[in-house]
Amino acid sequence: MIIAERKPFREIQDMVAPYGNVLIAGCGTCVAVCLAGGEKEVGLLAAQLKLARNLAGQTGRLGEITVERQCDREFIEPLREVATDYEAVISTACGAGVQFLAALLQDKPVFPALNTTFIGVNEAAGHYTERCRSCHQCYLGITGGICPVTMCTKGLLNGPCGGPIGGKCEVDPARDCAWCQIYERLESQGRLQQIEAILPLHPHSRTTSPGTVIHPAYLRRYAAHE
Amino acid sequence: MSKLEDALSAGGFPLVVEVKPPKGVEVAKMLAPVTGLNGQVTAFGVPDNEHAKMRLSALAAARLVKEAGGEPLMLLTCRDRNRLALESDLLGAAALGVENILVLSGDYVHQGDHPDAKPVYDADSVQLLMVARELMAGRDSAGHALSGAPRFFLGAVVIPEAQPLGPQRLKFRKKLEAGADFFVTAPIFDLEKYRAFRKEAVPEGVKILACLKVPSADEVEKAARGELRKVYSLPPAVIQELSGGDPEEVLAKGAAVAGRLARKLREEKLADGIYLKAKGRPDLAAAFLKAAGF
Ligand code: SF4
Ligand code: SF4
Repeated sequence: MIIAERKPFREIQDMVAPYGNVLIAGCGTCVAVCLAGGEKEVGLLAAQLKLARNLAGQTGRLGEITVERQCDREFIEPLREVATDYEAVISTACGAGVQFLAALLQDKPVFPALNTTFIGVNEAAGHYTERCRSCHQCYLGITGGICPVTMCTKGLLNGPCGGPIGGKCEVDPARDCAWCQIYERLESQGRLQQIEAILPLHPHSRTTSPGTVIHPAYLRRYAAHE
Repeated sequence: MSKLEDALSAGGFPLVVEVKPPKGVEVAKMLAPVTGLNGQVTAFGVPDNEHAKMRLSALAAARLVKEAGGEPLMLLTCRDRNRLALESDLLGAAALGVENILVLSGDYVHQGDHPDAKPVYDADSVQLLMVARELMAGRDSAGHALSGAPRFFLGAVVIPEAQPLGPQRLKFRKKLEAGADFFVTAPIFDLEKYRAFRKEAVPEGVKILACLKVPSADEVEKAARGELRKVYSLPPAVIQELSGGDPEEVLAKGAAVAGRLARKLREEKLADGIYLKAKGRPDLAAAFLKAAGF
């Protein structure tokens, strides 16, 4: 899932300082799971903002609403109506959700409450770690299910740099060197020969942003629109 | 053919001495070893933003070494350039008469003085070797023809004391396959560990420049406290020999130890030449040469 962190409160407060009625729009999917932007966090932010704005002598209403997913048009469509009562919107979705909402509410300022950090996993309660940089050319089949692009700090494709010490990464001694892990896993599975061949330069043209994916079943539909 | 290539292929046991490009534009100090030691040194290693600390460009420094009468061995890291910049710098090097190239991944930006810089690593060191080979064959990495192909003598790095050794050996094999002509090791202080690596992991005929380093007093103290976090180690006897005395004395003793190691490496045919890191100081390099008996 997508992992994000709440921005410092002060930054959020300053962004919406010029506006009276402000709607805080949450997202019930990834950012709810990582405790950054779901219904509960929307409530917390609203309470915090209310208190601060009262202290600053600022008037205006703070609204709260959380939708299932802000990255899906059908879920945000109702917000068009809700937002009419507000001068500005704070979105606690990931960067994708914030942009989708901003595109929907063309004439209204939409502010992000989160810093979107990475695609990762839930290691344990409140502990998230990165796993994928969405590189458009997944190497996991070759590298034993450990991502060289993400888990190796340098994103090296052909083995370790000169830096690992005792199997730990040169950049962060608390972390395992991804290439030592890849080697170990493939060795234990008897698949080391998979990484003997030299991997060529990564096709970065594919990662040119913004990316688009069209599911094969829909190719004809979208091709017809071109 | 470069003097380095010539010496390595003829079994001449070349010595490469590292110079230190300045953080700034005062280049006289950097060039002091070139003017001072040229007769006894085959080539001068020119680091590329070493330890991710920003310094005068290795390409410019390599050319300056050449103009001062020395032969450069230019280091080229994957950290700071995408494939376009790597390739155009390689062509630039060739056009400026820089033939010896040592490719490296490059220390990560966090370790240097621009921790917020964007790390590149568009190519890794294996891929960079292949790219350089392509250029030599008259094509760039996208397959376009060049007007005039460069000629390089290509080196790569190997870590004899890597732990674990398996992944490092994999990378070593790939570098050989990608066309490395020679290798430079991580600093060697422990002859026994290096001997074991050489015996077990280095195929016949592979040319190795053993890196010897004159450590600072600070580094020796760290090693003595067991806090040296490096891909090489200082054995207790070396630590004991180097410990004590003011920083200058430690450096002088370090040059002597390095010289002694160089002599053994040569006598026992454990290396094909030396890459010396002596803080870019001609006096330390001269002390090394004296102790080595070269
Ligand atoms: S190789 Fe890594 S970054 Fe690329 S898609 Fe696979 S997991 Fe993601
Ligand atoms: S130590 Fe390992 S994980 Fe860290 S940058 Fe080097 S190869 Fe990548």
